[in-house]
Amino acid sequence: MFLQKGKSFGFILIFALILLVLIALPFSVDLFYQTFLTELFVWILFAISFDLIFGYTGLLSFGQALFFGLGSYTVTILIRKFGLNTELSLLLSIVIPILFAWFVGYFSVRLTGIHFVIITIIFAIIGNVIGDTWTSLTGGADGLTFSPPPFRLGFFQINLMDIKGNYYFVLTIVAISFLFLRRMIQSPLGKVFISIRENDERARLIGYNVQRYKLIAFMIAGGLSGLAGGLYSLTLKYASAGYLHWSVSGHAVVYTIVGGMGTLIGPALGAAIVMSLEHYLINFLQATDLVVGIALVFMVLVAPKGLVGLIQSRLKRGKTSA
Amino acid sequence: MPEKNEIILELKEVNKSFGGLLAVNKVNLSVSKGELRSLIGPNGAGKTTLLNLINGTLPVSGGHIFFKEKEITNLSPHRISHAGIARTLQITSLFSGLTVYENIWTAVQSRKKFFNPFIRALKWEDVKEKTESMLELTGFKDKAHLVCSELSYGDQRILEMGIALSTEPALLLLDEPTAGLNSQESMALVKKMRSMLSGQTIILVEHDMGVVMELADNISVLHYGAILAEGTPDVIQENEEVKKVYLGSEHA
Repeated sequence: MFLQKGKSFGFILIFALILLVLIALPFSVDLFYQTFLTELFVWILFAISFDLIFGYTGLLSFGQALFFGLGSYTVTILIRKFGLNTELSLLLSIVIPILFAWFVGYFSVRLTGIHFVIITIIFAIIGNVIGDTWTSLTGGADGLTFSPPPFRLGFFQINLMDIKGNYYFVLTIVAISFLFLRRMIQSPLGKVFISIRENDERARLIGYNVQRYKLIAFMIAGGLSGLAGGLYSLTLKYASAGYLHWSVSGHAVVYTIVGGMGTLIGPALGAAIVMSLEHYLINFLQATDLVVGIALVFMVLVAPKGLVGLIQSRLKRGKTSA
Repeated sequence: MPEKNEIILELKEVNKSFGGLLAVNKVNLSVSKGELRSLIGPNGAGKTTLLNLINGTLPVSGGHIFFKEKEITNLSPHRISHAGIARTLQITSLFSGLTVYENIWTAVQSRKKFFNPFIRALKWEDVKEKTESMLELTGFKDKAHLVCSELSYGDQRILEMGIALSTEPALLLLDEPTAGLNSQESMALVKKMRSMLSGQTIILVEHDMGVVMELADNISVLHYGAILAEGTPDVIQENEEVKKVYLGSEHA
C-alpha cells in the first residue's frame, strides 16, 4: 500500500541498523567473506533494479543481463583501453546502458505479456553473441582483466584494489541506490509505474501515456542494472561476455521471487538468502542449482508473494485476530 | 434540463468497419453541455464500438469527431483523457490490487504535468485534498483503505465512475454501469449516480430501460451501427420503428 504513513520511521531504524552491522562487519570477517559480501551487494542492486521493472511496473524483462554486461564492459574497457578514471567510467556504466535501454525499450514496451519477455531475451542474446564474437573489444568468453585507479571525489579517495576499501565503496553506492529507488517508488512517478502494473488499460484511460512511462521505468532499471555491472567489474577487476548472457537476468528473477516482488526489500533479502544458501551448499554438493530450483518451486507454490509477502500476511493475520 | 445548449461533442459521418462488417455506419451525433444522452440498441448495434471511437481506443474508418470544437479523431486514449473525456468500461476496470484511496489518488494525480521522482507523493497537498473530496463525493470515505478487490461488485462499479470523475472530465462515457447488477443494486446505483454526477455531461450506454428512462435527457437508438431514432425518452417510447426493433420485445 503505497500511501501509508508512519512506516518511514521503522524503515529508517531497520535500514540504519543493517547498515551499521554491514559497516562493522569487515572488522570481524576475513577477506574472503568481504569479497563475498561485496558481490552480494552488487546482486542486491541488480535485483532491486529488476524489481523496479518487474515488481513495480509489471514487465518481466530478461534483458537486464544486457545492461548488466554493458555496464560491466563500459567500466572495464574505458579503464583498460582508454585509461579513463574510475569516476567517469562508473558514471558512464549508468549512462550507456540507459541509452541502450532506450533503444531496446523503444521496440519492447509496445509489446505486452510473453511477447515482451521474448523480445527482451532476444536483445540479450544478440548482446551476448556480439560480446562472444567481437573478441578484440571484449575478450570474448575469456574476458578482460584490468586494475582500476583509485576512486576520487574532491579530497575523498578510495583504493579499489584494497578489498575492504572496495567493500565500503560498493556498500555506499548500493545503499544510496536503494534509497533512491525507495523514494522513487513513493514518488508520483512511482505511482504511475504501479498503476501500469495494476491495470495498464485503466492507466491509459485516465490519461497516462503508458508506453512512455514503461520506457522511463525500463531506462531507469537499465541504468541501475548497468551500475550493478560496473560495480561487479570493479570488484572482480574483470568482465566477460558471459555477463551478457540472458540467464544472468535469471538471478534477479530468482532473488525477486524468493524475496517478494514489488517490495524492494524482498529482492535484497532474496539475494542474501539464495547466495548464502549456494555458498554453503557448494561445500557438500555440486548441484546447488538443483536445491535453489526446488526452493524456488516451493516458494512459488507456498508463498507466491515471496518471503516478505509471507511475513506481511502473518503480521496482518496477527493484527486482525488481536 | 438544457435543451438547445452549447454543443460539446460532435460526430460527423463516423464509420467503423471490421473487415467487411460495418459496425458503425455514418453516425452523426451531437451532445450538448450538461446533457445526459443515452445510447441504446440491441446487442451488437455498435454502442460500445462508438464509445471506443470517441475515446480513441479504436481508430475510425471514416468521419470526424470534434470535442469542444477541436478535432480529436484518432487521438490516442491518454490524449483524449487530457482533452477532457473520461470513460468507464463494461467489465469493471480498476487498479484492483490497490486501495480505494490509491485508486482515486492515481486518477487525481493524472492531471499533473510532471511526475517528480524525488518527492514523496503525499507531499502533493492539492492532490491529497482533491482525493479526499472525491472520496467524500463518491461515498467511499469509510472504505478508503480497503483494497478494492474487497469491495462489493456494486461498489466497484461506483468506484470506477469515481476514478473517471477524478480526472475532471467535461464528458463522461459510461458503458453499461448496471451490467451484472440485480434490479435492487441497479436502483441503488442510479440513486448514487444522480447525486454523484449531477450537472455532468454524460453519454450512457445502457441495457436496462428503467435506468435509461429514469436518467436520460435524450436517447439515441442505434441499430446495425446506424442511428435509427433520436429524441426525449417520451418520444422514443412512442416511436413505432424503435418499438419494432428494440422495445418491442419488452412492451409486447
